[in-house]
Amino acid sequence: MEEPSQNPAIEHAHSAPPAKEVPSPSESRALVCGIAAWLLPGLGHALQRMWGRALVVFLAVGLLAGAGASMKGNVFTRQGNDAFDTLGYIADLGTGSFYFFARAIETKGADVSHADGDYGTRLLATAGVLNLLAALHAYEAARGHKA
Amino acid sequence: MTSVSSLELTHFQAFLLFAVVISVAFGFLGRRRPKDRVRYILWSLFLFLLVGVGIGWAMFPFSR
Repeated sequence: MEEPSQNPAIEHAHSAPPAKEVPSPSESRALVCGIAAWLLPGLGHALQRMWGRALVVFLAVGLLAGAGASMKGNVFTRQGNDAFDTLGYIADLGTGSFYFFARAIETKGADVSHADGDYGTRLLATAGVLNLLAALHAYEAARGHKA
Repeated sequence: MTSVSSLELTHFQAFLLFAVVISVAFGFLGRRRPKDRVRYILWSLFLFLLVGVGIGWAMFPFSR
């Protein structure tokens, strides 16, 4: 049996070069599913043939975003005045492509001087956070974690 | 671009919309079997309503 070398230089010369960490195919697929789920609500689950979940996520996010915009909720933009606006923008961006759908519906702008507009702002943020949660779920499911 | 007429909901209607949609989404994401999903959705909806109405009543003395 060959004895391990005592000289570190010789040992280093014999050892294989450190392998680069390349994401495995399942990891890459999981990333694609997660990003797809964020861009179009439900798509991440649809890619994994989870049709029921895909439909429910699509309808839930669409309904919340549509209702929020129809109630003249605030669809935040990049030009926020404070940290709350920035947080609202991040939450709204969570809806992915539905962010543009919400902005397209709200042609006359937000009106948060009434309670309806305030509820609408919350519904829009809820839609975004729900979609981020669903995207994370799709990512975990694609990685083979129990979902 | 088409303009959509504005939606007007009462506080309770908006709260109910939120509770139903979130309960259904959580039920589908969190449970796999249909029976478990229905049970989870109903339980989650009940808790949403209980806590929402409970907080509403808790704020009642300060509303006037």
